[in-house]
Amino acid sequence: MIDRIQSALARCGISMWRINETVEETAELFFVRKELDTRRTKDVRKYEVTVFRDVDGQPGGEPTRGSTSVKLISAMDDGQIDEELRGAYYAAQFASNPYFELTDPTTAPMIEKTGELAGAPLAQSAGKMARALFAPDQHEDAFINSAELFVSRSAQRILSSEGTDVAYTDAKVSGEFVVQCKQPEDVEIHNDFEYGELDEQALSDKVAEALTFVRDRARAQRILKSGRYDLVLSGNAVVEMLSYYVDRSSAFMVYGHYSTWQNGDDAQGEADGERLSLTLQATQPYSAEGIPMADLPLLDSGKLLAYHGPNRFCRYLGVKPTGSYEKVSCANGTVPFEELKKGPCLWAVTFSDFQLDVMSGHFGGEIRLAYLIEDGKVTPVTGGSVNGSILEAQKDLTFSTQRYVTAKYDGPYAMRLKDVSIAGPGE
Amino acid sequence: MFPSIDRAKPGLQKLIRTLRETYPYASVLAVADDTRNWRISRTGIDISTLDMLGGTGFVVRVFDGTGCAEYSFNEFSEDKIPTICSTMAQRLAEQDAALEGFTALPTPIPADEPAVLKKETTWKVHPRELGDEAIVNKIAALREKALAVDERILDARAVVSYQAYRKLFLSEHRDLDQTVMYTNAALAVMASRGEEIKVAFHPASMLGGAELLDEMDASVEQTALDVLALLDSQPIPPGEYDCICDPETTGMIVHEAFGHGVEMDMFVKDRALAKDSIGEYVASPLVTMHDGSAVDESATMFFDDEGTLTGDTVIIDRGVLERGMCDALSAARLGAVPTGNGRRESYERKAYTRMTNTYFQGGDSTPEEMIASIQDGLLLEAPSSGMEDPKNWGIQCMVTTAKEIKDGKLTGKIYSPIVLTGYVPDLLKSVSMMSKTPELSGCGMCGKGHKEWVKVSDGGPYMKAHIRLG
Repeated sequence: MIDRIQSALARCGISMWRINETVEETAELFFVRKELDTRRTKDVRKYEVTVFRDVDGQPGGEPTRGSTSVKLISAMDDGQIDEELRGAYYAAQFASNPYFELTDPTTAPMIEKTGELAGAPLAQSAGKMARALFAPDQHEDAFINSAELFVSRSAQRILSSEGTDVAYTDAKVSGEFVVQCKQPEDVEIHNDFEYGELDEQALSDKVAEALTFVRDRARAQRILKSGRYDLVLSGNAVVEMLSYYVDRSSAFMVYGHYSTWQNGDDAQGEADGERLSLTLQATQPYSAEGIPMADLPLLDSGKLLAYHGPNRFCRYLGVKPTGSYEKVSCANGTVPFEELKKGPCLWAVTFSDFQLDVMSGHFGGEIRLAYLIEDGKVTPVTGGSVNGSILEAQKDLTFSTQRYVTAKYDGPYAMRLKDVSIAGPGE
Repeated sequence: MFPSIDRAKPGLQKLIRTLRETYPYASVLAVADDTRNWRISRTGIDISTLDMLGGTGFVVRVFDGTGCAEYSFNEFSEDKIPTICSTMAQRLAEQDAALEGFTALPTPIPADEPAVLKKETTWKVHPRELGDEAIVNKIAALREKALAVDERILDARAVVSYQAYRKLFLSEHRDLDQTVMYTNAALAVMASRGEEIKVAFHPASMLGGAELLDEMDASVEQTALDVLALLDSQPIPPGEYDCICDPETTGMIVHEAFGHGVEMDMFVKDRALAKDSIGEYVASPLVTMHDGSAVDESATMFFDDEGTLTGDTVIIDRGVLERGMCDALSAARLGAVPTGNGRRESYERKAYTRMTNTYFQGGDSTPEEMIASIQDGLLLEAPSSGMEDPKNWGIQCMVTTAKEIKDGKLTGKIYSPIVLTGYVPDLLKSVSMMSKTPELSGCGMCGKGHKEWVKVSDGGPYMKAHIRLG
């Protein structure tokens, strides 16, 4: 198919292009309690072609360069492929943007992921992870209500008119599960997971922790009063909070003037608490544009070290294109978790959906389980919502020494924020 | 449109016949789609396909001795039938071996009543016929108009996109064929207050084509004024307020707070409180809730992704929960009738019970009367996000703007952002006024949990209720 696409590009007179080929195979399991709901499997092969076109004679006389992408499948005949590519090339002249150099060429042999997950039959890996999932589910009071498990293996190949020809394979296991506890109140908590290895122990540990939390949620009371609290966030809520710094330092946001940060700026502003140190971590050898990916130090004690992002926006800012990252690590953490959550404070463990708006800096979510910690007493509470601003909260942050590692994060398990507004259901 | 479906159909019919020699049930859903997205902002002009929607491919469903199984693929021709059948058989055998000791959820094979249908929706202007140049010029004009309103505006981003798709569902007794096109557009206007960027958003959607763009111009100035007003907004003191919800906010409450809770695959899992409330008052008698394709919006379709014909499902009738919405597998497990709500993110994903066009019916008040009835309260506008909690009927919805109402009049004071929280039946039972005309918006995507994105629309009339805000 790649040969057919390259021939079509030549026939259509398109000299600047990139082809992304993705091949994916999955084994998918769906459970209700411990019973199999549905089994699924998938074999797909996809092609996305991006064509570039230079346009002369734009206002101001500056050279411009446009691009458009289309998706192709092998079932298309040559005439259809030509039609799609010609349509994209025609459209590209109207997507003309300030001139930028295309991605530098890279050629390398296929990089193969190794390990049990990459090598074993998908069905076998799915079976192992299913057993790991249900291993801690041994009690009547709290249990897995339902679960979904996806094991996938994929291969990516990226070619370009500039000479790029790179490829790599990947494998991952991901999914979600809902834990339920029926007494004294019938409640549930949603969880998701993603691992790059066949990490059965990590999944079992996550389920065991979730079962503990859902038992606490079942006895949690709707007594939280509205007011301002020191707030402890943990797990994925910490990752969401730190996404502010990742997004605001992206070349896209800086070029668009949505972020005013400049390299060397103090991105955190004046702060009494810990100064942030973040590194973007490469999880794939190449970006979708074929840019070789490497770990990138982002913040050092709150100071911005780098912009990051796709080729075009990095070129505009005059920095080396880095590709887009999916994982961040955080070097912070000065206080053991037990000390971090010493009262008075509210440790919000799970939300229905904790979100941070990168544009406004606002963060919030509805609390499903929190522990109100005061006067040496720990009270599980539920209901109410968090409504805060990272622009205020970042002035005094404390992180735990206890770590939390996922496919998209490696850093402190918890962070403490001072004086955050909470709307509670209590009188 | 989509002649590849016509070419594949005889082979797909043969595939069904071949699979039926082994399995007691076999069906296939074939999908071909065409998307394009035009976007302009300070970061430039972008023309691309849409990543989050559909794709072209096939999904086969069979029932074997264990239960329901599916195989998704995107390369098909008649000569591949033996390979498809042997791959399915081999993978199912491997999976069953790896899962020794697990049992299957008992699932009767869904009914396969005879049905033949071929329908398509209509549009006035196909975006491809209007052309890339004209569309870019139109959205560039919208952007320039917004920027010209005030020098404090940081940027305006204008977007238009469409998806046209054709779906063919074949089983032993069903031959269903539909072609649908919808178009979405949006204008987001931004202004900054230091590091904080405020955004006002105006969405538009329709079952149709590029004629939608003609509706956008009228809203540009107001959207720009909305963002400037947000620059003077304040955090809201947490508490309970008498509120008027605009139609979009009503729609978010319909969809997030209540709709997800009546998706009946959640009944199968014992994950929805609504399961035990059928026939009971869950809302004010002013509340009647619909889901389905009786209205023309982004999620209108003639049959769902499991080959069930769609219609109009009355979920709440004058405050009483009548029924949920249901996919075919869940219906078989519950002994219920499927409602045409079995939907997939794409041919690559599982079908779940999903909403389509979901809305509250109108009442008999006017928005002016409703605002005048508030002594001390708020007008809630511009929802930004929400999350379901079917198990406990907890509410998490976020809106951008709350406009203060004192003594029946808007004071001009604005609070932002706003988190709605509380218990769903409390909110719905507090509904005391509805305006006459429901308005639906279909720009958004709906996730099930944190994934499985499908196109939906939701809405309703202006709605007066008592709501806890934070």
